[in-house]
Amino acid sequence: MKRMISGNQAVAFAALEAGIELASGYPGTPSTEALTEICNFSKINDPSPYVEWSTNEKVAFEIAAGAAWAGKRALVTMKMSGANVALDSIVSVAYSGTIGGLVIYMADDPGAEAGMPEQDSRYFALLAGLPLLDPSSPGRAFHLTKYAFKLSEAVELPVILRAVTSVAHTKEIVEADYRYHPLARKPEFKRDILRFTKAGSAICVDQHKTLLDRLKLSKDVMHTHKINQIHLNGGNEKRGLCVISSGVLNHDVDEILSSRPGISSLKLEAIYPLDEDNITGVLKNSEGIVIFEELEPVVEMLVRSLASGLNWKGRIIGKLDGVLPRTGRYSSKEILKGINELEGNERQEEVGTKTQTYKHPITFCAGCPHRGTYVALNRVLKRLKLKKEETVVTGDIGCTILGMNPPIDSCWTEVSMGSSIGLAQGLALSGLKAPVIATIGDSTFFHAGIPPLINAAQHNSDILVIILDNGWTSMTGFQINPGTEEMLQGGNNRRVDIEKIVRAIGVDYLEIIDPFKQEDSVEAISKAIQAGGVRVIIAKRECALTALRREGREIKFRIYHEKCTFCRSCMRETGCPALEVKTIRDKQVMSIDADQCTGCGLCATCCSFGAINPADQSGQGA
Amino acid sequence: MSENLFVTGVGGQGTITLCNLIAEHASDHGFRTSFFQSRGMAHRGGRVTGEIRIAENEDESFGPRISQDGADILIGMEIAELINSYSYLKEGGIVIIVNYSYIPSEVILKKKEFPSLQQAVELFSKKTKQIYSAVEQVNPVNLFTLGLFSAVKSSFKVESDIFSCISLEKTIMNKMKRNKEENIKAFRLGYEYGKKTKEIF
Ligand code: SF4
Ligand code: SF4
Repeated sequence: MKRMISGNQAVAFAALEAGIELASGYPGTPSTEALTEICNFSKINDPSPYVEWSTNEKVAFEIAAGAAWAGKRALVTMKMSGANVALDSIVSVAYSGTIGGLVIYMADDPGAEAGMPEQDSRYFALLAGLPLLDPSSPGRAFHLTKYAFKLSEAVELPVILRAVTSVAHTKEIVEADYRYHPLARKPEFKRDILRFTKAGSAICVDQHKTLLDRLKLSKDVMHTHKINQIHLNGGNEKRGLCVISSGVLNHDVDEILSSRPGISSLKLEAIYPLDEDNITGVLKNSEGIVIFEELEPVVEMLVRSLASGLNWKGRIIGKLDGVLPRTGRYSSKEILKGINELEGNERQEEVGTKTQTYKHPITFCAGCPHRGTYVALNRVLKRLKLKKEETVVTGDIGCTILGMNPPIDSCWTEVSMGSSIGLAQGLALSGLKAPVIATIGDSTFFHAGIPPLINAAQHNSDILVIILDNGWTSMTGFQINPGTEEMLQGGNNRRVDIEKIVRAIGVDYLEIIDPFKQEDSVEAISKAIQAGGVRVIIAKRECALTALRREGREIKFRIYHEKCTFCRSCMRETGCPALEVKTIRDKQVMSIDADQCTGCGLCATCCSFGAINPADQSGQGA
Repeated sequence: MSENLFVTGVGGQGTITLCNLIAEHASDHGFRTSFFQSRGMAHRGGRVTGEIRIAENEDESFGPRISQDGADILIGMEIAELINSYSYLKEGGIVIIVNYSYIPSEVILKKKEFPSLQQAVELFSKKTKQIYSAVEQVNPVNLFTLGLFSAVKSSFKVESDIFSCISLEKTIMNKMKRNKEENIKAFRLGYEYGKKTKEIF
């Protein structure tokens, strides 16, 4: 059936059709919806594959690999940063290979539209020695996901399926069934220490050789199946120009080449191992080549080394000669530039003037409990006369990092999952005068915050760690995590308690606060800052949006405009997006947008004139 | 050839829903359509964009993204984000503006500059004469904007009949699960408004 689906959904649909029996992953833009789709499917269908959001990407990968070693088909999903976390196990599993089809879906983000490094995960294929497919569209993602399972089983290797944001988040019509064909394979895992352990150099080197043989085989298999598309114009006598493109750019190239019929093209989706026959064919046919790929010159390096091996004398245009950029997402602008260079046209004026006027900062949602925690922290610093510019607050990945934006202005750093705690430890050890505070969300703590907290406890570091526990992995769309309420977990899941973990680690100083109880929170943080050693505060209160979806709003707040002096303290301290300025009878007053207010009451704690109070039954604001 | 539609707004305005409606509508009418959605932090007042490409020919090959100077139509549901999208508009393209500004607290407190409708219109007149702007707006703003779009489209392009008021109404009825009446009402008001304020700035 034809349906309009995104690249992420296409991966999910294809994996279901390929008969996966297990899917795992950790949420992260732009990869998230692939696993979300399978979760949704499994909720309402029987039979359906086992699916889980794992604690982190490394665990997710190991679970998928385990199932695949028992002969099942398995899918694991992650964003590029997550692939870094999983890499340790990916490299080792590559040595052993796989039995059932194992597909690793990684999503990259050229242009950093979701705001993490512009990492090129195609390098992982070279590093781990695994085949990599880079679909050019949602339709191709559907096709190549199914293909990846077959390839994986044919060559006994995990296969990396890599997509960029422009494929993952684009919707188009795909001929795809929303149907599950379980393979129902009998699980079987034979003990074979030569294949599945690494003890001893002989074993490792042998496995490495096998890996290289399998990799070679995968090149031949992909060549036979003609994954890449090659269109050569002219022949050996009439040497011409050729464009090599990779993944999503194949279509942009098509669009531009449609008015330049003389130019040959090689459109790659099988990126690694690179099909040398394809490249040699192109080289023999051309005297000039331009290579289009976003981010790193992965294809370009392989082509250049092949060309120099063949003693080929033409010109290669790409990134390494400085013509095309290594950063950002490519559009037809870069492609036109490369083709103009190839055709020897005069350099064209750069098109497109960027106008950046006001950039909207992203803030916590109205009623977000994290706002309460950071406001309390700001109040404590003020009370203890600690200078904000001297008190380092390390931030972490997820909604909690929004504490870096005005008017909160708390967080100083954002590096990687769990890094707030390790960084804080190092900063404290460096001898900074002011106390060092780490802030981290619950899901991030489970993901990678526990080892650094153990480290801090063991070495008796002098840091305060605030775990902002809202019970969900909110930033990526409200996935469950180990700390989510058991009732809301679904399946046979159980809840894992952060408090018990912190106590088990041996942190003696532990306080639990409710960020909506400002006075108590200020009191607790203030005491904790002044104490020594590792101190942990858990700020516990559910994510405003999940709570709202389940329970609706009970109360809202309103501002009695007769009492409002327009001092704007509420806005200055909280920055809650439900607060707005209104003009009533020619007088400017603060007001609360009743549609947005969740009734957390935080703004009321800022008002010295008693103007902010719970609204009456009608819920009318000023 | 494809027709390229770039839509922008801030989280909470229903930008993605608007784009979904347009894209599915075009696709249901047999056009090859792709729709890229920027997303991630849509519920926090941040920038949201949608890029829709529509081609008459089913087998036409094109990339999912609109390049700079590539949008035939630019729809801005928020003034600052509209201006931030200036580079995408084609020379002589169509701009549809909803006069709404999402002004965050820091602008109010620190008295930062925030662009006005007038500034937006001045800027865009460097590139085009076809600027349609709605001074008022009706909620839900995304359906109101869809109505504006329908009115503007039907006023000068013959082959774009698929975006006629009647045909889009059907799509709204089919695709929107909740608040049908409210949505249709906002859509019709947008359409009426678009018909009346056809003059170009
Ligand atoms: S999604 Fe939840 S946790 Fe994230 S900013 Fe909004 S209320 Fe806060
Ligand atoms: S009570 Fe105040 S701070 Fe809380 S959501 Fe409502 S307006 Fe925002």
